Amino acid sequence: MAEGLEVLLLDDEPIVGKRLKPALAKIGCNVEVFEDPKKALERINQKEFDIVVTDIRMDEVDGLQVLEHVRQSSERTKVIMITGYAMMAVAREAMEKGAFDFISKPFKPDDLRKVIAKAAEALGSNIQSEISETDGS
Amino acid sequence: MHPNENEVARDHLEGTEKTESLDGRYERTHAIDVARKFLLSRKRLSLRLQICLSFFIVFLVAVIAAYVLNEANAKVEKKLRFLEIANDFTVEIIQARRFEKNFFLYNTNLDDALENVYQAKAIFDRNIGELEQVLGRDNYKKMISNLKHYGEILEHLLAGDSNQPSINKKKAGKERMEIEVRKIGRELVSLAQNLIERERNSLSKMLAQSKQLHFYSLIFLLVFLTANAFFLGSRILSNVKRFSDYTMRIASGDFTPITPARRYRDEFTELALAINQMIQELENREAVLVQSHKMRAVGTLTAGVAHELNNPLNNITLTAHMLLEDYEELGEDEKKDMIHDVVQEAGRSKKIISNLLDFARESSSELEPLALDELLEGTIALASNQIKLSGIKISFQSTGNLPRIHGDGQQLQQVFLNLILNAIDASPKGSTIEVLVLPADDPTYVAVKVIDSGSGIPEHILHSIFDPFFTTKPKGSGTGLGLSVSQGIVAKHGGQIRVSSREGKGATFTVTLPVTTIPAQIKV
Amino acid sequence: MSIILISSDHYETCRAVAQQVAESTGYALLDRKILGEVASASRIPEPKILKSLEPSSSTVGLPAKVRNRALAAIQSAVMVRLLDDKVVCYGLAAHLYVLGVSHVLKIRILCKEEERVSLMATERNVGIEKARKLLKKQEAVQKRWSLDVFGRDETNPSLYDMVINMSQIEPDEAVNAIVETVSYRKFQSMTYSIKCLKDRELSIRVRLALMEKYSDVDVTADGATVVVRTKALRREKRKKTENIRALAGQISGVSYVEVHAGRDIFRQAAESA
Repeated sequence: MAEGLEVLLLDDEPIVGKRLKPALAKIGCNVEVFEDPKKALERINQKEFDIVVTDIRMDEVDGLQVLEHVRQSSERTKVIMITGYAMMAVAREAMEKGAFDFISKPFKPDDLRKVIAKAAEALGSNIQSEISETDGS
Repeated sequence: MHPNENEVARDHLEGTEKTESLDGRYERTHAIDVARKFLLSRKRLSLRLQICLSFFIVFLVAVIAAYVLNEANAKVEKKLRFLEIANDFTVEIIQARRFEKNFFLYNTNLDDALENVYQAKAIFDRNIGELEQVLGRDNYKKMISNLKHYGEILEHLLAGDSNQPSINKKKAGKERMEIEVRKIGRELVSLAQNLIERERNSLSKMLAQSKQLHFYSLIFLLVFLTANAFFLGSRILSNVKRFSDYTMRIASGDFTPITPARRYRDEFTELALAINQMIQELENREAVLVQSHKMRAVGTLTAGVAHELNNPLNNITLTAHMLLEDYEELGEDEKKDMIHDVVQEAGRSKKIISNLLDFARESSSELEPLALDELLEGTIALASNQIKLSGIKISFQSTGNLPRIHGDGQQLQQVFLNLILNAIDASPKGSTIEVLVLPADDPTYVAVKVIDSGSGIPEHILHSIFDPFFTTKPKGSGTGLGLSVSQGIVAKHGGQIRVSSREGKGATFTVTLPVTTIPAQIKV
Repeated sequence: MSIILISSDHYETCRAVAQQVAESTGYALLDRKILGEVASASRIPEPKILKSLEPSSSTVGLPAKVRNRALAAIQSAVMVRLLDDKVVCYGLAAHLYVLGVSHVLKIRILCKEEERVSLMATERNVGIEKARKLLKKQEAVQKRWSLDVFGRDETNPSLYDMVINMSQIEPDEAVNAIVETVSYRKFQSMTYSIKCLKDRELSIRVRLALMEKYSDVDVTADGATVVVRTKALRREKRKKTENIRALAGQISGVSYVEVHAGRDIFRQAAESA
């Protein structure tokens, strides 16, 4: 259901990328893993991803900045926040800034997969509405 | 925190430091006992005693003076009386002599002269005791014999005058007798006048003496009272000053018990004992306060730790789930790598908590040589999650090669942690807190600076930030005891904590601690 | 996808607004109608269940033990229903125990004071001044009750996302404001906030189950892990711990139970900080 989705995964914990890449690949995602938020931002500038999964608490650039950056550069990209520092205020802020979902660490690979599936669904409907819009015009 | 809760806290941490932590307090209790013994072992010379004694002495002097003056008065009275007698006597004799003269010139009044002699004799007889005493036996005898003789001659003359045996013979006898009478009469008068003169002299001497006695006793009282007032005053004042020095010392956090400063004990000794008791109480309270404040810091840190733990936990969760999921497909090396990750992340989790647990454990009051830069690195590690949580950077710099200080590592860590946590609270997101360890201006001190770039501390509250219960934080989020407790700890280590700040430019807290070569100086 | 909790200093006003909000959002209305079910499920008579929700001073109210169990039963029933999402809830004190869930919008409605005074006057058949005094007293009791039972001051505005003062705002306007606010993205449910709600639901369910035997338990849940804190004397510690572990382990959704008997200094310190 998530066939061919382009996913960028950003977390300064190397193990997160190491484990999630194969986990997401299993449901058909093409995952690019980054540990350095600056490099990830550069990559986002180059390429429009379907889904960006980002940690919030990172040195130099934090996940909310990444979220804002993605929102500016791409309307349709779904941003999923994952954080160990989950708090109501941060969650609300992320949602208000346009995050698709917000997951607190620790989570199971399946938790993320479910959210990705949900995002794929949303993307699909978006794609459909885009198609219908082009059809309409 | 209630002491009971401390018990529980210690219990909960499975701490073994219970006895060690009590050592410090035990030593102080012991010191206070020793001081008590010394304070009480001196001779007692109370203020009350000094006051009573001085009053008694003054009273005694007054009594003696009164007695002496009374005696003198009695003597003067006696002398006056004697002078009166002597005067009467002299008057009688002089009268007798006047009549005697008349007799020889006009042959009249011999009766009258004799009458006067009888009078004088009567005066003499009436005051026989006194006269004998004043004149002395010889003079008295001489006087009385002269008087007798004078009276006899006069009687004789009177008798001869009436018999008239022969004119010539009579005439010659009369002349002879006249010479004799005059001689004795003169003698009598001069003797009496001499006596009066002598007694008058002695009287005026006596009066002068009594005057002097008044004067000297007044001088003595003046000197004595002045000296007593001086000693009593200086004794009270010096003690009051001594005790005000003690309270200043105690207020600055030096809890050494008061030891004897004088050779004797008095009311101030009881005060010293009470203050020593108070010191003990204060110290107990302070220990509780320091510990409860530490638990507050721990409470603040747990939030950061709880969040920070989520990262290794997430790594473990993901790894374990993927291992379970792909167990069949994975190669041996991959499996090993994953298990290795789990082990490593578990270790990381443990490390995250153990720092905090070490810090939370009840202070053991252990004094040891400490390298301040190591201590601060540890402190920063402890606060690192909090720093991450608030999106602030911290930079640590040390000039290195600094002499060690001697102190209680945990308590000093508590001080620095408090300063760093305060700096985190004050700093805006994205700013940097600087922590510096460097030699202080005074070469026997080392300085630690914690510099934040927050909004600074307004000048009008700068002087009160170390006061207990002073806080700028909203009600309920701070006790206002942090800096006060920190100051107490630093003062105990013989150091100082200072702040400089300009509004809008952040604040700098500087802790200076003495480089100690003699370990025993610190009173913790 | 949100939950709206409405509380007020006046029940009728609260109900009116909640009903209108439910109508215009199409959300389900959750109110005291569930108390019948709660009563039968918990085997506590319904009047007692209802009484447990009424702020009262401890002397005239229910015995604390009964009251706490009744409230736990209510909480449990409410939490289960909140999991359905798209719910407007009022009159069940939910604002006092649904905490830290980002997709829960909490509203406090302040009724016109004069209106409340006159209502009180007719209700109790007393003069205006007397009614005013009675109202003040009632407010104090209410505040005290919320602090006693839930550890939170109901009248503290920082407990809510929005406080609407009805003395200047018409009911329709209030409803519009609530509907508008709840549409903000920040009040949308997400994986994290749903997890928070689920954890809360589970912890309350476990607590209710344990309360039959142990009244002094405090439960937190994280996923399927449940942590139970209770006081215990040294000698009964082991037995109590085992009993609690066994009891809680049977509850669905629980896979691991941790029991802390004794005092938890870290928690204490964190709460005092």
